[in-house]
Amino acid sequence: MNNHSAAAPILRVDNVCKTVATAEGQLSILDSVSLEINAGESVAVVGASGSGKTTLLGILAGLDLPTAGDVWLDGDRITAMPEEDRARVRGRCVGFVFQTFQLIESLTALENVMLPSELRGESDAGDDARMYLDRVGLADRLTHYPRQLSGGEQQRVAIARAFASRPKVLFADEPTGNLDTSTGGRVIDLLFALNRESQTTLVLVTHDTALADRCVRVLSLEAGRIEA
Amino acid sequence: MNLRFALRLVGRDWRSGELRLLLAAALVAVGTVTAISLFVDRLQQALLAEATTFLGADSVISSSRPIPDAFRAAAAERGLAQTDIVSFPSMLFADASDDARNQLVSVKAVGPGYPLRGAVRIADEPFGQDRVAETVPAIGEVWLDSRLFPALGLDLGDTVSVGYAELGVARVLTAEPDRGRSFLDLGPRLLMRVEDIPETKLIQPGSRVSYRLLLAGDSGALASLKASIDADLRPNYRWRTVKESSPTIGGALDRAESFLLLGGLLAVLLGGAAVALAAHRYARRHYSHVGVMKTLGATPADILWGYVCVLLIIGVVGVLAGLVLGILVHLGIIALLSAYLPVRLPWPGPNPFVVGSVTGFVCLAAFALPPLLNLRRISPMRVIRREPDRGLSNVITYGFAGVGSIGLLVWYSQSIWLTAWALVGATVVCGAFAVVALALLRGGRIVGMQAGSSWRLALAGLQRRRRENVAQITIFGLAIMILLILLLVRTALLAEWRSQIPENAPNHFLINVADDEVGAVQNLLREHTDYDGSLFPMIRGRVTTVNGEPARGWREREGERGEDLGPGLGSERNLTWSDDLPGDNVLVQGDWWPADTAESLISVETDYARGNGLRVGDLLEFDIGGLPVSARVANLRRVEWDSLQPNFFIVFSRSALAGFATTHMTSFHLEPDRKRFLNQLLAAHPTITVFEVDAIIAQVERIIDRVTRAIELILGLVLGAGALVLIASIQASHETRMKEHALVRALGGTRNLIAGALAAEFAVLGAFAGIVAVLGAEITVFALQTRVFELDYDIHPWLWIAGPAVGMALIASVGYLGTRKLVRSPPLLVLREL
Repeated sequence: MNNHSAAAPILRVDNVCKTVATAEGQLSILDSVSLEINAGESVAVVGASGSGKTTLLGILAGLDLPTAGDVWLDGDRITAMPEEDRARVRGRCVGFVFQTFQLIESLTALENVMLPSELRGESDAGDDARMYLDRVGLADRLTHYPRQLSGGEQQRVAIARAFASRPKVLFADEPTGNLDTSTGGRVIDLLFALNRESQTTLVLVTHDTALADRCVRVLSLEAGRIEA
Repeated sequence: MNLRFALRLVGRDWRSGELRLLLAAALVAVGTVTAISLFVDRLQQALLAEATTFLGADSVISSSRPIPDAFRAAAAERGLAQTDIVSFPSMLFADASDDARNQLVSVKAVGPGYPLRGAVRIADEPFGQDRVAETVPAIGEVWLDSRLFPALGLDLGDTVSVGYAELGVARVLTAEPDRGRSFLDLGPRLLMRVEDIPETKLIQPGSRVSYRLLLAGDSGALASLKASIDADLRPNYRWRTVKESSPTIGGALDRAESFLLLGGLLAVLLGGAAVALAAHRYARRHYSHVGVMKTLGATPADILWGYVCVLLIIGVVGVLAGLVLGILVHLGIIALLSAYLPVRLPWPGPNPFVVGSVTGFVCLAAFALPPLLNLRRISPMRVIRREPDRGLSNVITYGFAGVGSIGLLVWYSQSIWLTAWALVGATVVCGAFAVVALALLRGGRIVGMQAGSSWRLALAGLQRRRRENVAQITIFGLAIMILLILLLVRTALLAEWRSQIPENAPNHFLINVADDEVGAVQNLLREHTDYDGSLFPMIRGRVTTVNGEPARGWREREGERGEDLGPGLGSERNLTWSDDLPGDNVLVQGDWWPADTAESLISVETDYARGNGLRVGDLLEFDIGGLPVSARVANLRRVEWDSLQPNFFIVFSRSALAGFATTHMTSFHLEPDRKRFLNQLLAAHPTITVFEVDAIIAQVERIIDRVTRAIELILGLVLGAGALVLIASIQASHETRMKEHALVRALGGTRNLIAGALAAEFAVLGAFAGIVAVLGAEITVFALQTRVFELDYDIHPWLWIAGPAVGMALIASVGYLGTRKLVRSPPLLVLREL
């Protein structure tokens, strides 16, 4: 399945549409979106609330399926795959940072970071996780639970978790949305620094233009269409 | 996802407290069921052992022919204890002289080891204080009934003649466990050794002798013996166990079993409800968890496998801990009740542990699996966008729970009837609850608008979470209903049992009263006892043909098959005649004959008629003392066998038996301290035979008393399971409540307002649940009492006040205790934790 080559884009979107049924009839959320993102590139997707950013992110990461069109991720046509196979692709090459952190409340910081490796059945999950937590400056918070951490600390744990899975593509959904400006700034610095070190492809969804400008490319989404 | 990861998942969830409720629910379900099963198993074994003393054995092979040695060998091969009894009527002579006083006695010759169950009781003077005999009479000795001493002028140490044998009178015999309950076996008892029989030369071809082989031992070995000799038993040998030999005891045991199983059944349902609530809450709390894991690459199969492993681990731990809990609880019960229980309870078989384990796993699979299975369908999109979760389809939830519960209940109770009625009760209640609860919630909201702020908040809360509250009222209601059902059924059963043996039930039977003695005996009885009955004529005979066809063929062709249908047509029976319908009998079909009828008519007991295919109008021919007598069936009548009054399967019209000499019989009540009256009676009428049944009644009462204790215990255990459902159900709505009340407090609501609103909410919930629980209980108890227990039913007005009051008090206190934390914690902390 994996016929990915250096020249090929790591993410290719071809004519993707998404409509949902509402009481008023069919509502179009994404309308013929096509784009390509190359390996190592950092791309920001910007747009107003309701423009379809989050839906697009979900489809790009294989969390959701489009109504029409195709998505190739790391050479796999994920839109043709059942959920079981898409999950494997995610496990292999995707990392996430969410606006609401999405740490598991019942797990410590260390256990949250170990989770992706554990899901892959790797045995040295602990060492790797400690290393990444150290890298985000939380080496002394390994056994803390999410509720014992501040918002910024929680997002740093989430970043450590995202990179601990050594993803090829990192999807970040409004990563500073729940943080104050200065904490948000520090978290973003960390995100970009790690991204550079790991040479990960970054797809960042935000409505913050300053944040978007730190990416190599900015795609603007309006009413479900990519603006030129 | 591998097993190690699943183990870690369990470990982490346990640490965070998320699995505790689920495990507690599983633990209590398994523990309760195991404790009940263990207790019931051991108690049943003990009750059965006690009941087997009525037989003097676990099983008996009886016949009018000698027991073949092949049977004995087969029993010995299986390690069964065995001993022989040979009984026959004979004349007993006070000495060897020609003019010696004599008396017809019922001889019972026994082998060493008799009785295998229960004990023979003896005394050192007639009607004196008795004690347990450690042995059987020695060879050459007899033990005699008290009444033979005054009747024959005997003393201990005298010699008596039985046939050609001269035997020494060694003891006064007061009781044997298997003293005959058939009138064939009546007469003052003489107990001797089988080894002395040849010397008596009494057993000749044609003698009326009954041979019995008593057997005792492992039930498996008994079953195996029965299977191996089954073909040889027919048609001359009969295999009897306690249930067949003693219908009263059999009935009491059956009812006890039904009740205890009902208790176990309800505990399973309650445990299941608690498991379901805990599992739904656990699954709901894991939606985000699963969403995150899916974004990190967990496949639906991983999720499925992971949570099935979680459930398996919970199952194994819950079952093991539950079995231990069950053992401890049942030991506690036994310690608590040691004074009332048999001295030594038999060890439990493996069955209770199997029941407990299977119950645990089936409960988890039926009640906890559906919400956990649903986790694999959680969309990973929920982590980036709040989407409504696809709820679990009701078909799956209720389908699993339904199949699981019904399967468990049928397997557990071995009774489709009992299960069906329990389920009908539950279904009726759930349907009624949903409708009534909705109406009550709506009405409550309208009233609440006019009420103070605590009440307004409480009733608004109830109305807002309408769906959850309808479900909670259903569960609270179910728990209260079950408790009410237990209480009502228990009360009814006890009352029925007590009334089965009324205070002054006859405890002595008199037979062999000659025609010319009837008046004198009646006067004596009236003078010395509360007797106001009459004497029934009695004669033995058997049916030879029905409508000209031989009796056996008729029964095989026409008779219904089934238990409790009375003896066969061709066997010899006690017959009587009467001008009037006997006191407590009820005419079911046909008419009673006029007192002066010249027709030869009979009245037949209904079960006997069904078992033998007899209908009104059939012409029966009898062999009575070698003479043929024809009579037509005039009517069928129902007989209350439990009344201990003399009763007959067949009653003739007076003219039909006009030519026959009959003896008479009756029954009367005699207080234990007036037993000496029997001496006076027997001295005046030495040929009369007295049959004392007070000992049997005392034994029945003892068994019923113990069964009652057991029932009270089971009620306590089920109450515990009910309380757990309440807690699980409060926990299930904990987060929503916390959030709402934290918001109210953040907006300026005082702690008192919240506390008041919570108390009011739970009180209203409890009262609503109580109202519908009473409705459900009345309907279910009506069904149970009339269909399963065959008792009468009356509505219970006090319940309609007590039910809601108990519901209010119970749920308000448990609910308030469960939500104390909510009132105490600072609102900011509560809001941050959500």
